[in-house]
Amino acid sequence: MGPSVAKPNDFIPLFIDCISAASSRTQEYLLFKDPEDKLHPSFELFTHVFLMTYISQSVSLNLTDTFNCTAMTPGQRILLGADWVWALMEKPSRNPRLQIAVQVLHLQEKEDTEENTALPDICSETMQMAQQESSNKNMYEKLVDFCTSIGKDCYALFLFFGKKNDKGNIYGVLSNNFEVAIGKCNKIDRGFIENFFKGSRYLHTPSGMMQALVTKKEQDPITLMIKFS
Amino acid sequence: MAATQDMKGKGEGGDQNFDYMFKLLIIGNSSVGKTSFLFRYADDAFTSAFVSTVGIDFKVKTVYKNDKRIKLQIWDTAGQERYRTITTAYYRGAMGFILMYDITNEESFGAVQDWSTQIKTYSWDNAQVVLAGNKCDMEEERVVSVDSGRLLAEQLGFEFFETSAKDNINVKQTFERLVDLICDKMSESLDTDPAVTTGAPTAKLTDSAPPLQQPGCNC
Repeated sequence: MGPSVAKPNDFIPLFIDCISAASSRTQEYLLFKDPEDKLHPSFELFTHVFLMTYISQSVSLNLTDTFNCTAMTPGQRILLGADWVWALMEKPSRNPRLQIAVQVLHLQEKEDTEENTALPDICSETMQMAQQESSNKNMYEKLVDFCTSIGKDCYALFLFFGKKNDKGNIYGVLSNNFEVAIGKCNKIDRGFIENFFKGSRYLHTPSGMMQALVTKKEQDPITLMIKFS
Repeated sequence: MAATQDMKGKGEGGDQNFDYMFKLLIIGNSSVGKTSFLFRYADDAFTSAFVSTVGIDFKVKTVYKNDKRIKLQIWDTAGQERYRTITTAYYRGAMGFILMYDITNEESFGAVQDWSTQIKTYSWDNAQVVLAGNKCDMEEERVVSVDSGRLLAEQLGFEFFETSAKDNINVKQTFERLVDLICDKMSESLDTDPAVTTGAPTAKLTDSAPPLQQPGCNC
């Protein structure tokens, strides 16, 4: 536990407030069905709704100095595989004590039809260049590589905005140990991540997730499934 | 010295029409102003809000030199130690570095030698380096003198500027000098190593580039 954080877990209820607001707002949009079937919101919209709501709430609760949220640029999203990164900050060094790098996964059937939709022109050169410069690994593997390169205090969180049989809820798989799968020659893909939900595994609350992270021993591996909404 | 050369033609949505591409990195301790420096140069913007860079990011800017279009791919690296594995992976293939310290932060100046060693360890021998003492607008809080900066640069064999991203002092000049140094080095290499004209050894982006026009850089 960082010595400079006076009450290290004080941020958790505030974080939960932010998560609740973001999840509820995002759910409204995930469940929205246009009676005329004319509106087909993009994946990015859901991610932005979640992030905008989370950030607004965390700013209004004055949480950002303790637990900050950094949205990635389009280039960083390709290079690092993360949509945003949460960090619990140590004061006064402002170095992260732990980080959670988040990648949002959308419903598979939508992905099939909408994957690779064109990004805005303004970004396309940057995106192309980022693609050229990044490894041949898929986005899941890039996120795992990014977290592994930092260490056991950096967790990869794959955040599912809806699942096949539950389109309106938000789930997550978090681990600082996904790289073990690579060591065992398993490819990290969507199926691999979805497999964590199979069986009767316990689903943590966001609060339980955060408690587990701040109380665990530094180098210990941890893998959790979470229901965010 | 290798560079992406003569990659002409229109890419999908992006302008890939250029004569050379230089890969540049900005490195230095956390909070010295690397991201602000890049924003000032690429977007002519500045914000005093500090947001620590996560891992690595980049921007692209095209400059013109002797009628040649030079595309600068400028990598903004996180200064925090925890990202060192990621950032050093991008040193390979870089033609130039801006090694930055903060004139109001002694520790960042003390770390310059270590950053210089990192460049030697992870990049090409031919990479060019400019040392930049940033935040020179904050004269009242200065703890590193101009002479100390200049002397260290001389000892390390680097060019030197004091800069301010906030007041837009020497930002453009730093990049322009680095580009000049890279062009000079390219011309030098062309004189002594004809292999360079075929793009070998090469940066990653050179792979698809056709041979360079003869006889040399002229940029």
